[in-house]
Amino acid sequence: MILNKNYSAIIFFFFGLGWLSAQDQERQDSISVNPLEEVVVTATRTVRQMSSLPLPITLVDRKQLEQTGVTRLNEILSEQTGIVMTPDATIGGGEGVQIQGIASDYVMVLIDGVPVVGRSSGNLDLSRLAVGNIRQVEVVKGPSSSLFGSEALGGVINIITEKPSSDKISTQLSHRTATFNNQNTTVNVSQRKGDFSYTLFIDRLSTDGYDLAPQDEGQTINPYYNYTLNGRMTYKVNGQWNIFASARYFYQEFDTSPDVSLETDNNIHVRVDHNPGEKHKLQYELYYTRYTTDERTSDPIDPELFVENDFDQRLFRPEIRYNFSPRDGQTLTTGAGYNFETLDRSLFREQVRFDSRYLFAQYDFSPFEKLNVIAGARFDNHSVYNSQLSPKISARYTVSPAIALKGSVGSGFKAPDFRQLYLDFNNVSGGGYSVFGKEVEAAGIQRLQDNGELASLQVDPATLGEPLEAESSTGINLGVDYRKGSFSSSINYFQNDFRDLIDTRILATKTSGQGVFGYLNRERVRTQGLELDLQYRPVDRLKFSGGYQFLLAYDREAREEVERGEVFTRDPETNRTVRLEQADYFGLENRSRHTFNLKAFYEIPAWKANTNLRLTYRSRFGLTDRNGNGLLDEFDNSFVQGYALVNLSFEKEFYKHYRLQIGANNLLDFKGRNPLAAQDSELLINPGIQIFSKLNIQF
Amino acid sequence: MKTCFHRFCLLFVLIAGVSCSEDGTEELNAFNITAVSPTSGSVGTEITISGNNFPSEASDIELTFGGVAANITSLSTTQLTTVVPAGATSGEVRISIQGTSKTALPGFTVLDELESARVENLFAPQEGGQGQGEIGGPFTKFSFRTGEVTDSETEWDIAFRGTTIAVNGGSVTGTNDEPVRNGNAGAAIVNGIYDEILTAEGLEFAQDAQGAFAIPTGSDNGWYNYNFMTNVVSPIPGVVLVFRTHDGRYAKVEILSYYENAPSNPDGFNDASRYYTFSYVYNPNEGDTNLGTR
Repeated sequence: MILNKNYSAIIFFFFGLGWLSAQDQERQDSISVNPLEEVVVTATRTVRQMSSLPLPITLVDRKQLEQTGVTRLNEILSEQTGIVMTPDATIGGGEGVQIQGIASDYVMVLIDGVPVVGRSSGNLDLSRLAVGNIRQVEVVKGPSSSLFGSEALGGVINIITEKPSSDKISTQLSHRTATFNNQNTTVNVSQRKGDFSYTLFIDRLSTDGYDLAPQDEGQTINPYYNYTLNGRMTYKVNGQWNIFASARYFYQEFDTSPDVSLETDNNIHVRVDHNPGEKHKLQYELYYTRYTTDERTSDPIDPELFVENDFDQRLFRPEIRYNFSPRDGQTLTTGAGYNFETLDRSLFREQVRFDSRYLFAQYDFSPFEKLNVIAGARFDNHSVYNSQLSPKISARYTVSPAIALKGSVGSGFKAPDFRQLYLDFNNVSGGGYSVFGKEVEAAGIQRLQDNGELASLQVDPATLGEPLEAESSTGINLGVDYRKGSFSSSINYFQNDFRDLIDTRILATKTSGQGVFGYLNRERVRTQGLELDLQYRPVDRLKFSGGYQFLLAYDREAREEVERGEVFTRDPETNRTVRLEQADYFGLENRSRHTFNLKAFYEIPAWKANTNLRLTYRSRFGLTDRNGNGLLDEFDNSFVQGYALVNLSFEKEFYKHYRLQIGANNLLDFKGRNPLAAQDSELLINPGIQIFSKLNIQF
Repeated sequence: MKTCFHRFCLLFVLIAGVSCSEDGTEELNAFNITAVSPTSGSVGTEITISGNNFPSEASDIELTFGGVAANITSLSTTQLTTVVPAGATSGEVRISIQGTSKTALPGFTVLDELESARVENLFAPQEGGQGQGEIGGPFTKFSFRTGEVTDSETEWDIAFRGTTIAVNGGSVTGTNDEPVRNGNAGAAIVNGIYDEILTAEGLEFAQDAQGAFAIPTGSDNGWYNYNFMTNVVSPIPGVVLVFRTHDGRYAKVEILSYYENAPSNPDGFNDASRYYTFSYVYNPNEGDTNLGTR
């Protein structure tokens, strides 16, 4: 690690030298381009200048996506301040995003404002999302259920797709080849012709995968390939009416012969914009999405036997939104919608269905010039769990042209998912334990009782089937923005309090000795910390940025128990039991106290080239409890040491239409050591350096 | 003559009076014993004897437990302390000072000493479970009195099969192949540090019953936590199992490992499991709740 840090320092030093020598040239060139004011839509569901918003927002623009040479959403998000990609607990299950210390389950992912569905154990695999047709990625941190409803507790990631800008047919072909036989081809065709525009995007990715456990049989990530097809069109009927339509198709197959593992993710999105007058704007939206997986795993004992695990989730959602702007700087946004959701899963007895209705309203106004206030609330009424009201208020006060204060308080919720409500699972291969969702637990217990399989009930039968509450949170963000000349910075304090997190509990014991498990609302969790973002742009061609997050994330019950001296731990050296000290409770799994990133982007117009160097660091984090006390403490031998990843890329344009890019991700070839590795074997954290080259042809 | 007699009498009375008062002084100098505490204890247990007029020199005192001499460890005129000597048997505690011998306690009980031991790799196999069908197979029975695994149908206290622990008390739970309970054993789960748990006094002892073991089965329910990520069964630190044995004695147990040779970081996928390593303290004296001294 020390070596690693030193390397990084050296690289940044040379980068700095390059910049100094380039600076002289810069003065002579004196090309002055005002950076376009970045606008975002996710924070308010209206177009707003990002710098004027009272909420903490991260924006990744097209340029950054192109210059870094990334292909998937997870790769670019992991380089942003306060965003960490964490591997799923299940091998090969992809990575989940963590924002402000909040796990992937509680982060909503949208494409053009409509949600992506299809989670595996709550985790949405962001490597499913290709970035080749993205204009920008907007990340709103903190609870946003007041606009987006369920799942938007930790934040919202909204992917905004590219709009065509040219009258001529614009075609872009690219191919990227990288370590692990990672081949990515994309085709982008777009045109704007009068009132009509269209875009066609095709992406194919294949790779041999990689292995983090070289001694073990099989691979950590099996070879796979996937296709993404996305077509979108807009049509301007007249000055008042606009039509937008988009269809996306994603197909992915893992090579796990003789097993089968494939998934599809499709969606259709149609929106009609109606502007009856200057002050009024209406949007009618229809959205349909379907996510399926088809998994067949051969039984380890009898290979002729296959265990099926199929998943088929569908969501249909009509929504209407209305914006009213009586005056400049005042906007009332209202909306209403209906979610029809179904899930068919091998582990459920029958197809299950959710219906929910919602209404939201938000008022964005400035009571006086220096103050902007956004207040809103959303009401969700659901067919299965209790209704939710999610308010949020935020404000920004401009102290001086250089300084602004920002604050927001909001609430978020996550509806119990299908699994927590309807799972009816009897694990034949795992020894015969059962898991029941809340809605089916009473019937499931009855069934076991009737079959004489039940030895004893361990809960009060009256509590069986009592409705689960939605998991909910309250988030506070307080920040200061400072900008002066080419320097800008922001600091933000956040605190998120989660209530009623859903946990499993034992319901009964079977005569076979196995347990019957159910779900209940139990845990209270807090994440709090500080984010700091700095940006310095000494000249237009050069941009430095740095970000840091300090994070504390802990289970509040566990912390109280430790404070009361009720938690013990075992010293692995002496095997003696000791009372756990407060300082030795580390907090939640997979959270690093310190994360930071340093980036430098540099453009060299004389060479028609650009280059960048990005470093991300995350400090030590723990994977799981190992000494049996149910929480992560300093005596658990499950900590991954802090590490840095350095990514580098260089791109040059030639013959006008061609751009060649080369680079390396994880330049220092960090591999790390997973403490959970079996004795005398090795388990890596990262597969090591990945070198890539990419050719881009545009005409 | 009469006067003479009177004088004589007076003298006699005076002398007698003097002699009487001399007798009284002697009585005051004699020692008394008012209390012995505790009235039972194993060899090495500290015993306090209270009274008065104890001499200032310990060498002037002879103290015996059932005839076996004991040393005085501290002394004042009203209190002395001693420890039950090695080889002592139950019986009279006697104190002699300068030829005067008194019974301090007619029936002191010398208890058997607490037995502390560590059992390593007690193998508790089971059939079935974890994908191999219904759980079954005989339990591995253990007796605290012998400190060993036993085949006895009656002289066992606790029994192990996989992660399940049965006690020789209560009724059948309904699981396959369980041992017949014919004793009065019970179990209590105490949260604390093993060395600091010194008594079974006041604990509620559960017994096996239809559908429920005295020590609840399942992860985070009884004595262990199961981590699906590492596939490891870890004894919960701070969980001390206090047992009443089949014949009314008490013992405390701390399970240290479920894996062969108790590795400090077991490998859930490769290390052999169902091997118990545990420490215990057993009090062989019936009904005595003492489980150690600080």
